[in-house]
Amino acid sequence: MSFGGQTPTVVVLKEGTDTSQGRGQILSNIDACLAIQDTLKPTLGPFGSDVLIVNEGKTTISNDGATILKLLDVIHPAAKILVDVSRAQDAEVGDGTTSVTLLAAEFLKEARQFVEEGMSSNVIIKGYRSACRLACAQVKELQIELKRKQADGTTDDPEFRELLKKCAKTAMSSKLIQVNSDFFADMVVDAVQCLDPNDLDETLIGIKKVSGGSMEESRLVKGVAFKKTFSYAGFEQQPKEFTNPKILCLNVELELKAEKDNAEVRISKVNEYQAIVDAEWKLILQKLEAILATGADIVLSKLPIGDLATQYFADRGIFCAGRVPAEDMERTIAAVGGNIQSTVSDIKPENLGQCGSFEEVQIGSERFNVFADCPKAKTCTLILRGGAEQVIAEIERSLHDAIMIVKRAIQNNHIVAGGGAIEMELSKYLRDLSRQIAGKQQLIVAAYAKALEVIPRQLCDNAGLDGTELINKLRSLHSQGETWYGLDFAHESVANNLDTFVWEPALTKINALQSATEAAALVLGVDETIKNEPNHNTIGSQPVPPPGGRGRGLPQGMPSMQ
Amino acid sequence: MQAGNQQQRIPMENLSKPVFAQDEMGRPFIIVKDQGNKKRSHGLEAIRSHILAAGQVSNIMRTSLGPRGLDKILISPDGDINITNDGATILSEIQLNNEVAKLMVELSKSQDEEIGDGTTGVVVLAGALLDQALELIEKGIHPIKVANGYDKACKIAIANLDRIADTVHIDSENIDANLSKDSDLFRAASTSLGSKIVSKCHDQFARIAVESVLNVANLERKDVDFELLKVEGKLGGSLEDSKVIKGVILDKDFSHPQMPKEITDAKIAILTCPFEPPKPKTKHKLEVESVEEFKQLQEYEQGKFKQMIKDVKDAGANMVICQWGFDDEANYLLLSNELPAVRWVGGSEIETIAIATKGRIVPRFEDLTPEKLGHAGKIREVPLGTTRERILVIEDCANPKTVTALIRGSNKMIVDEATRSLHDSLCVVRNLIKDSRVVYGGGSAEISCSLTVTEAADKQKGIDQYAFRAFAQALDIIPMSLAENSGQDPIQTLTNLKAQHVKNDNAFLGVDCLGKGSNDMKGQFVIETLIGKRQQLLLATQLARMVLKINDVIVTGKDQY
Repeated sequence: MSFGGQTPTVVVLKEGTDTSQGRGQILSNIDACLAIQDTLKPTLGPFGSDVLIVNEGKTTISNDGATILKLLDVIHPAAKILVDVSRAQDAEVGDGTTSVTLLAAEFLKEARQFVEEGMSSNVIIKGYRSACRLACAQVKELQIELKRKQADGTTDDPEFRELLKKCAKTAMSSKLIQVNSDFFADMVVDAVQCLDPNDLDETLIGIKKVSGGSMEESRLVKGVAFKKTFSYAGFEQQPKEFTNPKILCLNVELELKAEKDNAEVRISKVNEYQAIVDAEWKLILQKLEAILATGADIVLSKLPIGDLATQYFADRGIFCAGRVPAEDMERTIAAVGGNIQSTVSDIKPENLGQCGSFEEVQIGSERFNVFADCPKAKTCTLILRGGAEQVIAEIERSLHDAIMIVKRAIQNNHIVAGGGAIEMELSKYLRDLSRQIAGKQQLIVAAYAKALEVIPRQLCDNAGLDGTELINKLRSLHSQGETWYGLDFAHESVANNLDTFVWEPALTKINALQSATEAAALVLGVDETIKNEPNHNTIGSQPVPPPGGRGRGLPQGMPSMQ
Repeated sequence: MQAGNQQQRIPMENLSKPVFAQDEMGRPFIIVKDQGNKKRSHGLEAIRSHILAAGQVSNIMRTSLGPRGLDKILISPDGDINITNDGATILSEIQLNNEVAKLMVELSKSQDEEIGDGTTGVVVLAGALLDQALELIEKGIHPIKVANGYDKACKIAIANLDRIADTVHIDSENIDANLSKDSDLFRAASTSLGSKIVSKCHDQFARIAVESVLNVANLERKDVDFELLKVEGKLGGSLEDSKVIKGVILDKDFSHPQMPKEITDAKIAILTCPFEPPKPKTKHKLEVESVEEFKQLQEYEQGKFKQMIKDVKDAGANMVICQWGFDDEANYLLLSNELPAVRWVGGSEIETIAIATKGRIVPRFEDLTPEKLGHAGKIREVPLGTTRERILVIEDCANPKTVTALIRGSNKMIVDEATRSLHDSLCVVRNLIKDSRVVYGGGSAEISCSLTVTEAADKQKGIDQYAFRAFAQALDIIPMSLAENSGQDPIQTLTNLKAQHVKNDNAFLGVDCLGKGSNDMKGQFVIETLIGKRQQLLLATQLARMVLKINDVIVTGKDQY
């Protein structure tokens, strides 16, 4: 591939197969990763900006690394690794997706010079791995445990709550909701504390988006809320407010209809005609009577509830909603108790759920069914408001990050200081340590140490601060033993970020370091790509060979117009 | 608009050419899919083009602001014509390509959904905020710092709104007193109609708005149920013929021309089953094998019809409203049994009637009982003008809260615009009932906030000073546009007003758009709801932040325009 000039063609692989190998391949892979890093760089930190992506007519405005990379549609095989890293970080920790990508690319950038000098990539990989191990051990060494008075998982301790809020606020500091972070931090912590402390399943936090209103009109419902479902005539006559209602959740269709689609009834006598009509009515009426007999006040069903049933319930003061989405139904069950019934016969009182209050409320232009004060509230719902759809979508992503951070902080209550503090400290630690290592590894560990500084440097760049000056200041402070000094954007200088409450869970950092190192190792370890020609008709999207490019047979598509 | 957009489409570089995407051989490589088709712009350039786009949208809206604001003609791709000066409507009709411009549309939409009024103002304000921000950014101030400063300034402005807010008086003892011309509610409704096409029957529409809202409002709970309030537009007649009907209007007529045109003390059976022999839902087949059986079948059907009529009669109903149809035989039977009937009534109308008449919707004849019937004092079939169109008016319903505003007008555009205008003013009245605090209009609130923010600017440390001043200047755009639209010298008017604000410490001085010779908005009673104004400031600031925060735009090539 990197022969250049005129090489006789020996056809081994199918025509059109793209092969590239050797050192050139590693270098070009590194360059590709750096291009990705370049796109993400400006989004880091509290002064990070957003990226607006238009994809097939859909607009997304985001600051979340994983989201941007996903929408970017990366196809370069090496660059794709970075995308996967950020996605893994998103799945594992939920936050720090931008920094993990930045770190991975920076590791590669530092490795580039070694590769150019002809060092084996295995040596570099080994050095990086051991540096990563050391760094993670050091994070564990340094991390500070958040004290919690009761160790039994109850999170009523107000002090602990404050601590969680701090973590949530740090996670939000780079997002659109930065100014309202106080408000949202409260909401996020409340939401997470609603969950079952044993498994903290964040999928039970429902997020509903209603455009309109200001962000601070968003609210948390301790229980479940979902949009009013499609309703039939008669619905408006049902009561819309209950206190202590009993809730019956069904997976039964309550409609007057053919029981079997392909059945046909042969009627031979006229008087049988009425009998069949009556029989059909009886079927549905029996179902309805059975429901009535359970004493339920609210009937929810995943399947449609027809007009007949709607009116039947309206007559008897029962509220009903059909076609409730499965996800909402599950959260309702988690909140109110009981279980979903797939038949109406033999419903026992313990199968019914209960909640403190139910109401249908108007939020913006939508109506919501709100189940609040649930006894078994293992779930909650965030109703987000905002000026435009894109705003709310971004709030949702930001809150997701914050929720994950709070969750991590509860599960693993160790924190480190953010704002570049931990990176600076690790960098200093590794640099000092590298001097004691003999051989090539010394250079590599030192390179790793240098790469870590990308986080504070980029934070400075994004905020328009003088990176060189501030980083030098930090370096000197850290070497004097000021472990937790990081960047302080409020005063455009440096500060002890443990005191200014810029906190992040230690787990996020460890995970970020590990996956970034792994990704870098993976890219460095690849020295050959064999890419099969995609099936025909995509020739147009082939890489355009530069003038005097590959010396292969036909000049397929000479310098074409770009 | 299309042409305008073309001009200022974001000048973007091609993603495949950036320097970084080349390996050491100088060969470009593909990193992202369809790289050649992706467009990207970033940095200051992106922000600038966004602000220009937003500015263009807000410029379109500027001339529609205020009582002397002008209307726009909007021609849809199908050639439908729409004339309006309602911000939300204009923006929703314009087909925009630019992403930021689309955000502006959403902005006015959310103001519309939440408050229902002030949709033009919010867009103009957001445009002005961004315009001011551009100057600061070009000076080298970090966009996010500008946004942060705006947020702080917005907080101060809102605190100032709370301070200058006034409470309107709603007479909850004597509801009818609110209908008189000098009641606060009435005057508020007429302010909101000021800029609209209906201004020639100002008072009438204001009265319609106040009367209908008060009818459905619950003054103790401060709640207004818009579900009970219907606005119905009908072509023909003139705007003056518009009126409030305490009841329901049904766009249908009786099923048989010989049925009585007026029913008093109606007891209504509301049915959702067809007037025909019931059919099983399961597929069925009846084989008639002999004449005997055929006769039986006929008898059975006859019997069913009679039974149905009997069921209705036994329940005591003297009127039938049916969701489904019935054939001529049933129609004749109904007529001969003196049961006026309406067929093919839509589901939501059935529901409205059921609520209004406090009846129950009955799915089966067997289930009819006297308690399930709806009651209405009077049902009339009214012909509209000389056209053959007729409507049914159901009045004096059992539930006195239902009300319908019937809008008439000489052409469709006027009816539509009048309906929209009425909607705005209904929203104003509703908002006042929910929260009776108001600020005064004519730009007075903006001037007052602008002064407060300017004052606060000097107390700020650092860069926020600039953002504060920019925010204050952006607020000035509202009174300036108002003055400009009413043919006054904007700068002179604004400076005069500002001087007077400071001199007299009077926050109620605004632009005298209608040439009444007084700048005292309190005296003229030009009001806007506090929640509406607050929302405008909050939303506009939020949008400014969102736009300022973007510095990288990636457009996928497939979306060519």
